[in-house]
Amino acid sequence: MSLLTARDVGKRFGGVKALDGVTFAVEAGDVLGIIGPNGAGKTTLLNCISGLHRPDTGDIRWEAASISGMAPYRIARLGIGRTFQIVRPFPSMTVRENTAMGALFGRPQGRLQPGAALAVADQVLDVVGLGEKRHYPVLRLTVSDRKRLEVARALAMQPRLLLLDEVMAGLNHVEVEEALEMVRRVHQSGVTIVLIEHVMKVIVGVCRRALVLNFGRTLVEGPPAEVLKDPRVIEAYLGERYARAQQATAPPPSAPHPDAPPQGGRENPDEREEVEE
Amino acid sequence: MSAAGRRLPRWARRSVFAIVALALAFVILAPLTSIDAAQQAGLPLLTDKLWFRIATTVAMFIVMASGWNIIGGLTGYASFGNVAFFGLGAYTVGVLVGNRGWPFALALLAAPLVAAIFALIVGLPLLRLRGHYFAVATLGVGVAVGEIVNNVGPLGASTGLFLPIVRSDLIFFYLMLGAAVLAVLTTWFILRTRFGYGLLAIRENEEAAAVIGVNTTFYKVAAFCVAAALTGLAGGIFAQWNSFVNPENVFAISDNVQMILMAVIGGAGTVLGPVAGAIALELIIQTLAGGGSGSVYSQIGLGVLLAACVIFIPRGVIDFFGGQSRLSMRYLRQTLRETSA
Repeated sequence: MSLLTARDVGKRFGGVKALDGVTFAVEAGDVLGIIGPNGAGKTTLLNCISGLHRPDTGDIRWEAASISGMAPYRIARLGIGRTFQIVRPFPSMTVRENTAMGALFGRPQGRLQPGAALAVADQVLDVVGLGEKRHYPVLRLTVSDRKRLEVARALAMQPRLLLLDEVMAGLNHVEVEEALEMVRRVHQSGVTIVLIEHVMKVIVGVCRRALVLNFGRTLVEGPPAEVLKDPRVIEAYLGERYARAQQATAPPPSAPHPDAPPQGGRENPDEREEVEE
Repeated sequence: MSAAGRRLPRWARRSVFAIVALALAFVILAPLTSIDAAQQAGLPLLTDKLWFRIATTVAMFIVMASGWNIIGGLTGYASFGNVAFFGLGAYTVGVLVGNRGWPFALALLAAPLVAAIFALIVGLPLLRLRGHYFAVATLGVGVAVGEIVNNVGPLGASTGLFLPIVRSDLIFFYLMLGAAVLAVLTTWFILRTRFGYGLLAIRENEEAAAVIGVNTTFYKVAAFCVAAALTGLAGGIFAQWNSFVNPENVFAISDNVQMILMAVIGGAGTVLGPVAGAIALELIIQTLAGGGSGSVYSQIGLGVLLAACVIFIPRGVIDFFGGQSRLSMRYLRQTLRETSA
């Protein structure tokens, strides 16, 4: 049985169909990348999974049980952690305390007392590379470190599934490499991952499968290398210039040129996407 | 924590602690000397009746400000309707003691219960609102409850309820003091539990709190109920102390504003902030309100003081003197930068 199954999920905001019959499944151990232009419904999909939105149609299942419309805290305690594209730390707390909050409330194996939660936080902070800065107030962290903190707080819940909403957006070259390494480490520790990303290097670097959304519908789904060559994806998202750049550098099919984020398409990998009600 | 390095030196902290402890001991014990027996025994009279009443009022506002702090300061939901809990607590004691002839002690147990149940009922729908919407909705509840009581015959309507007079300022001072200690200890305890962390998480980012597993609805309603119970307790004591309750003296929106100002000036979200705010503000109000034309100036003075506090010490009196910051120009400049940004 799949770990997570979405069947025909739809979500409307007024007259806008943010999601329109999206179906996919995530197996345990998978790394699924979700890509698509701004407004394609990627964050809405994550919000539906984590319970912040209730899907209007369709069903989302965690193993056998339906979780559509369940309260976010209950979904969290099933073992589904998530990060936010625009980071949402608890500003009055230190890095360590922020992280411990995940273990204090969201562990599927049972919630921890504050002391034990801080111990979990220390372990997790080492995994994401914030160990040295654990006593910093969050307001002193750089953007890249705040993104790490989002991941750390979700990881402290010791989830089985981790939903990452653009953890690489706004990071520079070196930081993306580091973050990529972090995602790999998390995956190797046995966590299934669903990630939204505009940095193609990440999609081809860690994802086993990619799901392309456009206007709330599934455009293509498959192995990343194939998906990125699909003409429909190039037209809707990547743009001709990206495709030409790919051809010019003539990469082997298994590893298309990973550096450039898509250019020339309708995409602009900024932070303005998040669809809020 | 990095704050440790910037604290006052040990001797300074110790002497501050000693002074505060002495002052507290005086406040707690001085009233004993004002009773007749002590006077006859030749003990010096340290407080008169007026100061006695003021001290009891200060303790009452410590309870109310601490109660407000739990929902407004820790959870981040600025309630303008907490005075309804005070009024309900007062009317519970008023009805049970005045009309039903219950013993005061028993009625006093019912007061926080009634207030908490009311908080549960209105909290479930109201705590879905945020920010200004919550403030306005709770203000509406506060006014509405007062108006309803004002029109219900069995509750004495606008005349109010009379309770048998208990002539012992001493009992009420220590009851209020006990309630104040209970309120402070409750806040202190909450901040050391998972519940407290959950409230802080809700205050700082409710959606982030929800997706890490905080049952936000339950936590918010529970915090509202605790705040209501404490405020209702103060109302219950007030009813018997004053031996008369009517909508004007227990459902006054100005009391609600006052408890918020006390918590905010003292330091919202801290354990001792509401205590400092209640003592400082109540003493200032009593000093300035000399009656006659003086009370006009007292209002102006209070307004100026509030403006100054919000500009210069947005994080409250407690933060200004203790803990993470010092009374210094550097600190003033820093807070000015933060507030103007």
